[in-house]
Amino acid sequence: MPLNQSLKGKEYGEVTFTVDQGRVAQFADAIGEDRPAFRDSEAARGLGYPAQLAPPTFVTVLQIMTSGQAVVDPELGLDYSRVVHGEQEYEWSRPVRVGDELRTTPRIADVYSRGPNEFLVIEAEIKDQSGEPIVLARTTLLSRGTAGGGGR
Amino acid sequence: MTSAVRFQDVHVGQEIPPLAKVVRREEVKAYADASGDQNPLHQDDAFAKSVGFPGIIAHGMFSMAHLAKALTDWLGDPGALKRMKVQFRAVVFMDETLVAKGRIEALDEATKRARLSVWAEVDRAGERQLVIKNSEAEVELA
Repeated sequence: MPLNQSLKGKEYGEVTFTVDQGRVAQFADAIGEDRPAFRDSEAARGLGYPAQLAPPTFVTVLQIMTSGQAVVDPELGLDYSRVVHGEQEYEWSRPVRVGDELRTTPRIADVYSRGPNEFLVIEAEIKDQSGEPIVLARTTLLSRGTAGGGGR
Repeated sequence: MTSAVRFQDVHVGQEIPPLAKVVRREEVKAYADASGDQNPLHQDDAFAKSVGFPGIIAHGMFSMAHLAKALTDWLGDPGALKRMKVQFRAVVFMDETLVAKGRIEALDEATKRARLSVWAEVDRAGERQLVIKNSEAEVELA
């Protein structure tokens, strides 16, 4: 079943996430990140930051939540067993820190087919508690073999 | 908040120190829990076999995290990493050695920024497989 390509531009509900030290430590452990700036606030202050930093790809935690909304959206018609992660882009304005209250309203930036496959692009501008943009996340999911022909 | 790498010390064509790690099942499970991506493809061998793989595979984002670490290890300051755009092109199986690499492709004097091509590879039966390819990063140097 092809995806509903008319959903380009659709916005999903706001996702919020408070960055706590325990989750950052768990994430750092999982990726083998042991540098001090990701482990304690003293080291981060030594680099000029006000609080302990999260590793750059920590925002994946939020991105799993945002793309999850599209994945289960019945209007879109994604078959999760056919989905692979095709591309990922992050653009950072500053590193994410422990204590940040992150929020984002994800949207479908694009849906298109190419050959037998379809592509779903989800964009999420992640902001902090003061409304400053911190990270722009652009996720491309590939839906294998669902294009109904006539792709671009 | 300054990169340990100085703009004046680098040149186009220069490669960053490669970063290698052996991908273990426990780490991939830990990554599933830490990231929240609980797709059974990364945890359940029987499920992975049912969709045509010999066993579980690592998350694409697990490889991207490793590539980001190669960059921030080189830069010293995590804030010097400004942008990454990666394409996932091959899967990673358990106990394979994942190597993250990068090369400076362009330098901009006005902003002290460097654009790098970045990739991650595994050696599979003597053949180099590019797990992440056609990908780039932008960093701000001191």
